[in-house]
Amino acid sequence: MGDTAYLLFDVFLDTISFWWVIIPTIFLGLIVGGIPGFSAANTIIILMPLTLAMGLDTGLIFMVTLYCAARMGAGIPAILVNIPGTAGAAATPLDGYPMARQGKGQQALAISFVSSCIGGLLTTIMALALMPVLARVGFYMHSVEMIVVMLFGISLIASIAAQDMVKGLIAGFLGLMIGSIGTDVVYATPRATFGFLELYDGVPLIPALVGLFAVSEAFVIIEKTVIVNESAEPKKPSWHDTFEGVNIALSRWWHIVWTSIIGLVIGVIPGAGASIASFVAYQQSRAFSDTPEKYGTGHPEGLIAPESANNGVTSGTLVPLLVLGIPGGATAAIMLVVMQYHGVSFGPSLFEHSPRVGYGMFMAMAVSYLLMIFTILPLSRYMSHVTTVPTIYLAPMIIAFTLVGAFVPREYMFDMYLALAFGVLGYIARRTGYHVAAILIGVILGPLLETYFLRSLKKSDGDIMVLFSSTLGNILWVALIVSLVLPIWFDMRRKRRREVPAE
Amino acid sequence: MKTSLNRRRFLQAGAASGLVLATPGIVRAATFPERNINVIIPTAEGGGADRNFRAFTSVWKEKLGTEFEPGYYPGASGRVGYEVYMGKSEPDCYNLIFGNMGPEVLNWAMQEPSFAIDDYFYFGRVDTDPCCLFVGAESPLQSMEDIVNASKERKLTVGTSRMAHPASIGILALGEKLGIEFNLIPLQGGKGTIAGAVTGEVDFSVLTSGSVIAAGDSVKTLLVFGKNRVGEALDNAPDINDAYDMTLPEMLSARAFAIHRKAAEDHPDRYEVLTSTFKETFEDPALLKAYVAESGTPEYLNYGGAEECAEFMAAMLELGARYKPLLSGA
Repeated sequence: MGDTAYLLFDVFLDTISFWWVIIPTIFLGLIVGGIPGFSAANTIIILMPLTLAMGLDTGLIFMVTLYCAARMGAGIPAILVNIPGTAGAAATPLDGYPMARQGKGQQALAISFVSSCIGGLLTTIMALALMPVLARVGFYMHSVEMIVVMLFGISLIASIAAQDMVKGLIAGFLGLMIGSIGTDVVYATPRATFGFLELYDGVPLIPALVGLFAVSEAFVIIEKTVIVNESAEPKKPSWHDTFEGVNIALSRWWHIVWTSIIGLVIGVIPGAGASIASFVAYQQSRAFSDTPEKYGTGHPEGLIAPESANNGVTSGTLVPLLVLGIPGGATAAIMLVVMQYHGVSFGPSLFEHSPRVGYGMFMAMAVSYLLMIFTILPLSRYMSHVTTVPTIYLAPMIIAFTLVGAFVPREYMFDMYLALAFGVLGYIARRTGYHVAAILIGVILGPLLETYFLRSLKKSDGDIMVLFSSTLGNILWVALIVSLVLPIWFDMRRKRRREVPAE
Repeated sequence: MKTSLNRRRFLQAGAASGLVLATPGIVRAATFPERNINVIIPTAEGGGADRNFRAFTSVWKEKLGTEFEPGYYPGASGRVGYEVYMGKSEPDCYNLIFGNMGPEVLNWAMQEPSFAIDDYFYFGRVDTDPCCLFVGAESPLQSMEDIVNASKERKLTVGTSRMAHPASIGILALGEKLGIEFNLIPLQGGKGTIAGAVTGEVDFSVLTSGSVIAAGDSVKTLLVFGKNRVGEALDNAPDINDAYDMTLPEMLSARAFAIHRKAAEDHPDRYEVLTSTFKETFEDPALLKAYVAESGTPEYLNYGGAEECAEFMAAMLELGARYKPLLSGA
């Protein structure tokens, strides 16, 4: 124990000495995370020759920092201009963007930064301390259990639909139908691809994401002068909003803690990712809130939940990579290649043979989050000015940026047209009162639900009772029912209480 | 469906190549290549094929005297890249495709592409990575005997990266030999397939061995669907043919460069430059260094010409057709 503590302290000091790598990488990460379509993964791929030429320490610190900063960077355009650059940030604009429209962009950014940094830092420490336990999560969370986790996220459609059930459910089912486009995951039979080869792997997420949210938003805001509502009070730039945002986030510290733990637990499951975690955290946050009706209107807790959760995923994905040798996502897979290049062995023996590398990666993450809070927070004051840029300039820029973003992941012109098509769909949905977020949840989580569902059925040779075949799965089913029923019960109780004094 | 190579056309191309070979190298170099060679990679940037491509072309470009420009067209298990190559790239020897012969050719057996399969052919194989059967380090099944015994009691689940994959054919052939029915579960890619075996989502998995070696001691290899060229790195697992007295062709992930047949026929001189410099590349010690630097297993670096590739392609198509009902659910 004493030896490990000494080693951790030594690795911590060692990591701090790499500040000259960490700080520039934070800014690089913020930029690539903020540009739709770019991500830590494709930036690391582009810079791979450079990463391989670096020493192992420098290379890993660079990659880990870029990973964390890009995750946080994706939240910035999601809040300010309704462009979630990655699927992991798709739940961020649900409450972040309404805040920006109310003239609270600076405050929203501060809340997002503090939640991300605290969530990321906390889960990194937890991952470090509980690594052997967390590594076991993947041994219990198989396809049956993951179906229930997906349903937690998908049930958000029903919450969103609460205001107008018919329209909400239509939007949700439309999203699920769009999500089922592509080849099926078992026999690769193409469905509803309309002959487009580009749709064989399903509807690409980034074009759908930026189209539904950003392009449609650009169409909407062009009808106004600026993003900020005319009813919002005009403000002089000051640090006050930043401090207020920090204060709001810190006063909800417990909210940050439990939603980031949701992210951590989902992050350690190989194959699960930030998009699942952020929707599940948002749904849980809303389900157990005293004020669920405020969600979607610019409620700070609706912003804290997805941001803490998606940064919790970041530390979670390192666990299966380091302990089991299984990369949880694309960025982790590239880290694996770089580590292999330097001759580092993986799996259970990593902490035996190269403990400095294993602990060093977690430490790099912790130090990055620590330094990030001080480097990013001051920027919130300047970044929030985006919302006051006249839409006559902003809307074309949003469309141009998002179309480039749609093009980048696969470099297909088709994806740009698709983003525009989703933009038109999103615009029509907004103008007719259908919630685009409900469509998007279906598009993002539908294919994942289908994957786990078909896999479970294939494993059981088509026996539907497989869904209730595991103890943990059954516990999760009960938890799902409770989390769906409790809010209704709470709501009924609140209404009854309100009615009593009236009598 | 026409699948075998047209030998007469090949002989014609060969004769023309002989004439070209007789001309001085300097003359050849002056005429081809005059610009960069475009290469379509039907998988994502940064993946195994990309790394392999970068390693090989870093040496090949010196022999050929030009740069290679990759274009990535992932999707539909490689189908998108091939469709783009056959549909949009000019057949002029300046356009090549670099793919994985095993799984990508199996695709055609499951569902024919929009072009005639015979309209392209592989002319240069870079490596051969045999598929293998492995279990998670904590699996209760730790030997082939355990697997055979357990499968008498229940239908075992087997993780595979996708149904139409040489590794899937390997396990189906073994099942046929032993009279065992296995339940193949596609786990969407190498990472998922390894995770499935390690975490117990499936009883065991089958995959190309390069990925299994990379998983380190989280997994244990029990059988190789081909020759075990790396010994201990694959836990000294035996060759399926030796262990079960079978005659199964090696089930490989084999990355290779392919070209339009029309390009080779219309420009035999250019084709000859490509094939001769491709072969020369294997004689350069720098290749092994570059291949290992990109995480390649040195034992798998393995030259193959058009004939070896054609033979492998035909075997894949034949096995694909044979196991199609099991692999496609048809």
